[in-house]
Amino acid sequence: METMDCKRASRMMSLRLDGNLDGAEMTRLDEHLGECSACLVEWHRMQAIDSLLRATPMVHPPLRLRVQVMARLSRRDQARRAIIGGTALTLGTVTLALLTLAPALIGLLNGLGIAPALISGGPETLSQLLLFGSTMGRAVLVLIEALALPLAALIMCSLLMALAVNSLWIRMVRRMRVRS
Amino acid sequence: MTTETEWIQQARGGDQAAFGRLVMAYQTPVYNLTYRMLGNAGEAEDAAQEAFLRAYTRLHSYDPDRPFRSWMLSIASHYCIDQLRKRRFTWLSFEDEIAAPNGSTSNAATIAEAHLTSGNPNPEAVVAEKEKQGHVQEMLGSLSPTDRAAITLRYWYDYSYEEVADSLGLTVSAVKSRLHRARRGLATMVEQDGDYGLQTC
Repeated sequence: METMDCKRASRMMSLRLDGNLDGAEMTRLDEHLGECSACLVEWHRMQAIDSLLRATPMVHPPLRLRVQVMARLSRRDQARRAIIGGTALTLGTVTLALLTLAPALIGLLNGLGIAPALISGGPETLSQLLLFGSTMGRAVLVLIEALALPLAALIMCSLLMALAVNSLWIRMVRRMRVRS
Repeated sequence: MTTETEWIQQARGGDQAAFGRLVMAYQTPVYNLTYRMLGNAGEAEDAAQEAFLRAYTRLHSYDPDRPFRSWMLSIASHYCIDQLRKRRFTWLSFEDEIAAPNGSTSNAATIAEAHLTSGNPNPEAVVAEKEKQGHVQEMLGSLSPTDRAAITLRYWYDYSYEEVADSLGLTVSAVKSRLHRARRGLATMVEQDGDYGLQTC
C-alpha cells in the first residue's frame, strides 16, 4: 500500500472531522497516525479545536435589534420619499414658472415678426440660417433688454416659491419622523 | 405557500411589517455570524442591522429556490468580510486589540456585552462559559476574514462544503483548503498558547 505523506495526512484529518473520508481512507490515515507521532499530535489538537467549536453555542442578539432595523428602514424610506418629493416639487415650481413665462415669450416673438419670417423663409441656405441665427440673437438681446426686470422678478418669485414649498415639505417630513 | 414565502413576497411589495417578521426569524443566526466574524458586540449589532437593510433593498434579486437563510447569511458574511478588510487599514485592528497587554480585559468586556446563550444559573459556570467564548473569539480573530467565515458557517450553521462555497462565492475545493488551513492555524494556536480551555487527547 502506498505510504501517506504528512501533508496529505493533515488534509485528510480536516476531511475526517467533516465526515468526508471513506473507510479505506480512514484506515490509511489511522495507519499513518500510528507511525507518525507529529501527525498524531496535530490530529489530537485538531480534534480538540473541533470539539471546542462544536460545543460553543450561538450568541443571541440584544432585544433591540429588530426595533433598530425597523427604525432605520423607516428613516431611510422617509428620507428617500423626502428627496423624491422635494425634487418633484422643485421641478413642478420651475415648470409652472416657465409656463407662465412662455406666453410672454411667444407674444414678443410674434410682435418682433420673427415667427412669421421663420415659417415663410425657413432655414434653406446657410446664409438664411446665419441670418436666422443673427435675428434670433438680436431678438434674445431685445427680449432680455425688454424683460430684464420683469424676468428677474419672475425668476426670483419662482425660486422663493420653490424654497418656501421645500422648507414646508422638510418640516412636514421631520414632524412625521418625530411622530414615528 | 409557506409562511416565510408569504412574508418574503409581502416584503418585496414594500410591506415593512412582513420584513419585520423575517428579521425576527433570522436575527439570531445573522447576529451570531456577525459576532463570530467581527468579535465585538457593538460592531456585530451594527453589521447585523446593515445586513438586514441590504437584504431589504435587494429582495427583488432574491431567488425563491434558494433557502432564505442561506441568502441572508451570504449577505451578512460578505458585509463582515468587507468590514474586516477595511480594518486592516485602520490603527485599531481586532488583531492589535488581542495583541495589546489589556487585550484579554477588553475582550472579556466585549464578551460580557454579548448576550450569550447560557441558561446556567451557576455564576462560576457563566464566567467559565464567557471565558471560553472569549478564547474562541481570540482564535477566530487570528484567521483571515474568508477562512473565519468558512469556519463559522461550517461549525455554527452546519453548512456542507457546497453551501459554504455558495455563500462565500468559492469553489468546493477552495472551501476544503480554507477549512484545512483554518484548522491547522487554530491547532497551532493551541500548540503555542497551551491552554485554551481545551482538553487535548
